[in-house]
Amino acid sequence: MSFELTDEQLITRDAVRQFADSTVAPIAAEIDRDHRAPLENLPAMAELGLLGMTVPEELGGSGSGTVSYVIAVEELARRCASHAVIVEAHSSLCCWPIVAFGNPEQHQAYLPDLAGGAKIGAFCLTEPGAGTDAASLTSSARRDGDQWVLNGQKVFITNGGFADVFVVFARTDPEAPSAKGISAFIVDRQTAGLTVGDPERKLGIRGSSTTPVSFSDLRLPATSLLGREGQGFAIAMRTLDGGRTGIAAQALGIAQGAYETAVAYAKERIQFGRPIANLQAIQWMIADMATDLEAGRLLCYQAADLEERHLDFAIQASMAKLFCAPMSVRVASSAIQVLGGVGYTESYPVERAYRDAKITEIYEGTNEVQRLVISKSQLR
Amino acid sequence: MTIAVAYKWAPEAQEASVDAAGRVDFSRAKDKISDYDAVAIQVGRRLADATGQALVGVTVSGPQAGQPVATKAALARGLDSVLVLAEEGLDRIGPSATASLLAGLVRQLDDVSLVLAGDSSTDVGARMTATLLAGRLGWACLTDVEQLDWSGSDWSITRTQTWGVETFKVTGPAVLALSPTAAAVKAPGMKDILAAGKKPVRPVALTDLGLERPDQGETRATARLTGPSRQGVVIDVSDPDAAAAVLVAALRQSGLLVEGSQE
Ligand SMILES: Cc1cc2nc3c(=O)[nH]c(=O)nc-3n(C[C@H](O)[C@H](O)[C@H](O)COP(=O)(O)OP(=O)(O)OC[C@H]3O[C@@H](n4cnc5c(N)ncnc54)[C@H](O)[C@@H]3O)c2cc1C
Repeated sequence: MSFELTDEQLITRDAVRQFADSTVAPIAAEIDRDHRAPLENLPAMAELGLLGMTVPEELGGSGSGTVSYVIAVEELARRCASHAVIVEAHSSLCCWPIVAFGNPEQHQAYLPDLAGGAKIGAFCLTEPGAGTDAASLTSSARRDGDQWVLNGQKVFITNGGFADVFVVFARTDPEAPSAKGISAFIVDRQTAGLTVGDPERKLGIRGSSTTPVSFSDLRLPATSLLGREGQGFAIAMRTLDGGRTGIAAQALGIAQGAYETAVAYAKERIQFGRPIANLQAIQWMIADMATDLEAGRLLCYQAADLEERHLDFAIQASMAKLFCAPMSVRVASSAIQVLGGVGYTESYPVERAYRDAKITEIYEGTNEVQRLVISKSQLR
Repeated sequence: MTIAVAYKWAPEAQEASVDAAGRVDFSRAKDKISDYDAVAIQVGRRLADATGQALVGVTVSGPQAGQPVATKAALARGLDSVLVLAEEGLDRIGPSATASLLAGLVRQLDDVSLVLAGDSSTDVGARMTATLLAGRLGWACLTDVEQLDWSGSDWSITRTQTWGVETFKVTGPAVLALSPTAAAVKAPGMKDILAAGKKPVRPVALTDLGLERPDQGETRATARLTGPSRQGVVIDVSDPDAAAAVLVAALRQSGLLVEGSQE
């Protein structure tokens, strides 16, 4: 048993950390304040290869492996959770299902552009009436000759404002039991009938574009079906299994960034004539935060390692997300506590970390859903 | 033809600490490619691509520089291969001995047109290795190089001095130490990281070079921190002109603003 990262994973961490420090950190507060996506950084992220980590080399990606990928998401989130989720939604939720379920023509048509960052991806599952209960979705795709006609409304779509490629889930068999009648499609943004609504104003991850996307008599060629007809719900669930490791990594990175700010501040802030780091009350908070981070990192990397080795990882991914998401909120909250009043202001990034951390308890399966998944596996 | 880059796998200076006695402690600092050398590798990659030459890294240090993580970190930044002399104690030799050993490595390479180096290393910061290396090789040398291009017949070099900008043409083989401003260092890409493990690493022993272990004692840094201390002066800004005058006077008094400098 080895808990050591490989050389490549260590170098990936340093490389993404260098990028996050030099390119992401300087605009993180500003994109949060202005609720705007960091589009100016997408070319540099693409050049670094951050958008092709889940795509094999022969299809234009780097095939870096899941552990390196979660390390990259973690390092981005350490500086800016919005940059991290842009990469996560693109890589885990759009590239991955096309790699796993696409046919060779779809691979060639989409993956080189997605992996190289010429196109950005998004994932459309949630609807106004179908969140946790995704199988109750009502968007429909009806066959018309050799085309599909797509109608429906999706909400909360990450990268919606600028994505070029959408993986969309719609009901193709209204007669089949709810999860069985759903299929997945690959939809280009330019297709007539696709409308992207105004971005949501959010508590956190404000640099991530979250929009409604609707389809009105949108015509798709038969070739846009991803996987088999009726396989859509299984594709969505498999995709979210992997996505959960990515969100755990995002939560971990947010917490790590907040923790580092707290440690540095505690060593410098003088009260009662000495650094507050000398106070046991502060030391205990630091100890709890460090332990939380270590536990979260082990769970997250374990899930990623299992996935990378093509072993069952879904339960570990749920556990990693269920632990890391509330841990992130907890650590960010403690970081604010260590900083005291300034921690509550925009002078330090810990208040942003606290706001950003909350979403990790909600998207790609709420805490409650992770508990359902885990308990079901335990009580089988 | 080959462009060589002398690089160092050195402790990250920002992670070093200085104790009350002024001893610089690198024990908790993680090793990495020295920031200045990353500039040299990046410039070297650009020149090697422009002139169709191979780009080979040469390094002299302790065994840690020969570990795969160290060589891969260098190769991921764009080197085609590396020549590594990594033996016990060689991380503590001074610039003069380092230059002798680097010269031995450079002589192992065929047809070297240029040796590039960082401005200095992040740990020792002697700023001498490039000059000493050029002396050992008997080659031309320039330091503080900011811009470097191949004109088709010679290397054209620009550097800024306090009095203005100098340009040079260099034809023969040369050792050039690059200024940190010669390139904005990019992080290695994900594909480069994976490709690094497939590139050649040639370990070289002192005996291969026919050289003795240098006996130079150790170089240990001590430091005295002279960081700014807070004066606690609060200036009333209700009258901006008066506030500016008070600020200038306070800066003068603290020695931060000297006569004749721009106000
Ligand atoms: C910023 C943001 C980005 C998002 N990005 C995407 C995206 O890119 N693509 C996409 O498809 N979706 C996306 N979503 C949607 C997200 O995945 C859903 O919001 C999430 O799955 C929860 O669904 P809901 O909001 O409808 O909540 P609901 O399902 O209405 O849940 C409300 C509450 O009830 C609880 N609950 C519901 N059912 C159960 C149950 N059976 N047992 C116990 N508790 C239950 C939930 O845990 C929650 O606490 C995003 C959401 C946000 C806010």
